[in-house]
Amino acid sequence: MNTCIDLLRAALVLGLSGCGLAVVYGHRFSQTFFSVILLSGSVALFFTALSGWNVDFIWQASLPIYFGVAPLLIRLDRLAALFLGLLGAVTFCAAIFSPGYLKHLEQRLNFSLYWFSLFTFVTSMALVVLAANALTFLVFWETMSLSSAALVAADHTSSAARRSALIYLGATRLATAALAGGFLWFHAHTGSWNFADWHLATAATVIPSILILIGLSIKAGVWPFHIWLPYAHPSAPTPVSALMSGVMIKIALYAIIRLFLFHGETLPAFGITLLTIGLISAFWGVLFALVQHDLKRLLAYHSVENVGIIVIGIGLALYGQSQHLPAVACLGITAALFHCVNHGLFKSLLFFGAGAIDASAHTRDLSHLGGLAKAMPVTMLCFVTGSAAICALPPLNGFASKWLIYQGLFTLACQTHSRLGAGLSCAAVGVLALVGGLAVACFTKAIGVSFLGRPRSHEAEQCSEAAPAMLVAQAILAATCVVLGALAPAFASLLTPLSAAATGSLATGNLITLPLLPLAIILSGGACLIYLFVLGPLRQTPPRVCRTWECGFGQLSPRMQVTATSFAHPIARIFKPVLLYKTVSEISGAHQRHFPERIKADAVMTSLLESKVYLPLIAAVRRLGRQTTRLQAGSIHLYLLYMLIAAVALLIIGAAT
Amino acid sequence: MSTILLWLLTFSCLLFLPSLTIGIIRKTKARLQNRVGAPLWQHLFDTIKLLRKSETVSENSSWILRVNTVINISIMITLAFLTPWLSFKPATSADDLFLLIYLFAAIRFFAILSSLDPGSAFGAFGASREATLSVLVEPAIILALSAVALSAHTSNLSLVFALTANTPISQAPLWLLAGAGLFLSSLVELSRMPVDDPTTHLELTMVHEAMMLENSGPNLALLEFSSALRLVVLYGLSGQCFLHALHCIWPFASAAGILLSISIIFALAVVTSLIETVSVRLKWTRAPEFVAYGLTMSLLALLVALVTGVSS
Repeated sequence: MNTCIDLLRAALVLGLSGCGLAVVYGHRFSQTFFSVILLSGSVALFFTALSGWNVDFIWQASLPIYFGVAPLLIRLDRLAALFLGLLGAVTFCAAIFSPGYLKHLEQRLNFSLYWFSLFTFVTSMALVVLAANALTFLVFWETMSLSSAALVAADHTSSAARRSALIYLGATRLATAALAGGFLWFHAHTGSWNFADWHLATAATVIPSILILIGLSIKAGVWPFHIWLPYAHPSAPTPVSALMSGVMIKIALYAIIRLFLFHGETLPAFGITLLTIGLISAFWGVLFALVQHDLKRLLAYHSVENVGIIVIGIGLALYGQSQHLPAVACLGITAALFHCVNHGLFKSLLFFGAGAIDASAHTRDLSHLGGLAKAMPVTMLCFVTGSAAICALPPLNGFASKWLIYQGLFTLACQTHSRLGAGLSCAAVGVLALVGGLAVACFTKAIGVSFLGRPRSHEAEQCSEAAPAMLVAQAILAATCVVLGALAPAFASLLTPLSAAATGSLATGNLITLPLLPLAIILSGGACLIYLFVLGPLRQTPPRVCRTWECGFGQLSPRMQVTATSFAHPIARIFKPVLLYKTVSEISGAHQRHFPERIKADAVMTSLLESKVYLPLIAAVRRLGRQTTRLQAGSIHLYLLYMLIAAVALLIIGAAT
Repeated sequence: MSTILLWLLTFSCLLFLPSLTIGIIRKTKARLQNRVGAPLWQHLFDTIKLLRKSETVSENSSWILRVNTVINISIMITLAFLTPWLSFKPATSADDLFLLIYLFAAIRFFAILSSLDPGSAFGAFGASREATLSVLVEPAIILALSAVALSAHTSNLSLVFALTANTPISQAPLWLLAGAGLFLSSLVELSRMPVDDPTTHLELTMVHEAMMLENSGPNLALLEFSSALRLVVLYGLSGQCFLHALHCIWPFASAAGILLSISIIFALAVVTSLIETVSVRLKWTRAPEFVAYGLTMSLLALLVALVTGVSS
């Protein structure tokens, strides 16, 4: 218990001193210096989580620190420890990755601001996880949002980054407004700011629960509130994208889990809604990821998919609780928590891979990449591992959590008496399979177009392997993905106390009954044996190296390879109505029959939600704003009249109540 | 003793059935087209010949080339031991429905990567089509298997596919529909006729052959064997569904099951060659329509499972 508090204190002191040093010495000290502080802070945070696994302590700040109506209240329990551990692990790798990566941004970043925001960001994320009352939560939630917005705009010379930051800020404002509304309502009705006293999603608290859910969903990037995510995550420098995608959106999901799942019975409608929204998110995210050709944007859209999968788990748990099906609830919670951890690991791994490519090739556009396998073999190995994990290929960690979701849905279909529940869970199995297929298509595209084939541009040809420290960061994460996958049954049973606490049932024993470790050993052993004896060095004749078959037409040029757009074209065509996908071709000199001068073909994709819902909404708000400006006519008499009217109206309202 | 015998039998099925089934498809097709055709075991001869040949490798290839082959074959052999595609296959502890589906996905993942590897547009378009087809087919397969799993209340396939005594006759439609859904989906999954033509090499819409184009020698032998094994496993799985439907109507002894589960694979092979003789390959843009038939069968099976499951 004491070591735990000491470690936490050390982590916070390191975070805050990092902030201070960044402000004063941001320009003078090297990136390595700040990275070492971040590294030690993250180690402290990780061990806080480890030592905090078996303790449950509450700490209240003494008087000078006070939030007006409630104290700063911190609680470290098992659920918080899990997410603190994730934050520690991802920050650890980000700190190792940073010095090498930031080198290519030296001219463009203001490092004072960057490190200050980064330390604030990480520290406030830790405190959001630890917050035990609404005000503590909201204060650090805001700090987290604002510091991450500053980080999105870190590369402020590019107009895209500025625009992304603006969109992101808009989304966070809405999230905070919704959250604040919900929190105030709960305070008014329970008289307490402590999360432990609140019961969300019951029949009496439908509206505030929806408000809180919306606020958290905006931050988590759940459909239909995800539109900020593909702007903000790619614009930030890679360590920040990894932290935002890997951890920050998980913290919003953590808040949903904490507020909704641990307070007994809930309305079944909430479970059904979350399940449905999770399914749509998963499908929508992966479909849009598939048609992207900016590598980081592709990964950002893919986060929407994974958030959807986690939300399916949460929805399953809620529905299971409301229908008194503890087995389903248990599977749902474990799956959601497990997938949070997994996604944090492999998504930051993939972002690091994209960052390494960006740092070396100076582009993330897939149409300018290709053939990096020769130049960046280790980055590729890590990227392939991460992709295989995110596609839920056994025996990696992504599979374990997705399997839990499938099992949860299947158990629900078997056990429930409601036809709605059974039908929905069967549909969910089908949609998840579709999403799985799309994810495979999406990531084979990303790997194939960036690493395989031949370089499509001069930059890609000139690439070299990333700095050793950057490789170490990726290798750690890749190894964790493999180990967590093979040891998934053990990790899942670590999570059983949490699911037991939420469902109120006794621990149901081992959830993952698959022998994943033996499977991993058999598969890799078999693969090695086959390589050695059939294909590998034991054969007498070495293979002859020749050109790729070109139908006898002479040397293929790199431009004759498939592009990211053409690879995804058949699938994009099938889902045309959702993607609003169309191909446009322009031929100049078409009258010359077989010898036109120029042919230009382009695929255009506009997001259905953005163009049909959000843009009209924003336009309506602006129109309303223009109408409202008429009030401000510039005449002092008119303003006096307004004040008089307001005073009278207030008097009347006051008299009426 | 009998377990050892069954393992031996399973093992020999795994070794010889793939080539034999491919041989039956080719031979029947040849006879239907008034040709003599290659010998029945030609596929096996080809495999042995390829294993002894030296190979050529594209200069653009990376380590994905080898990794694909070894992962493909080792997963496929593991799958052949896990999947209950023969009624007499001894049960294993890991034959979970969702595990099997994702092991198949793992094979596909690396196959797509390896066909993008040499940087040839042929392979890459094959890969793109394979990805598209798998997106469509995967839900159909998983739903068909979920339907039968749902009626057995477990996702462990060796329990689902265990032949139990006195199954009610009302289960027959479920098994029939699931079997039909699986068979139609496996035609797509295996790049057979209505979607892809396995015998052409110069088609612009080919899938499977285009993906293998840059492989040669032992590499190609292993991939060809693996895809033949995938064919018998998937045919065996849908065949088992049909056998269960038969078992509901006319219960047969488990000894007959050995003979029946092998002969149903051959029967499905003959059906395949019939389809390939009378039909032509669909235009690529119409392939999703064919997949829709399989998906519809699976959905109907699921509906039957849900209706009978909830009422019981």
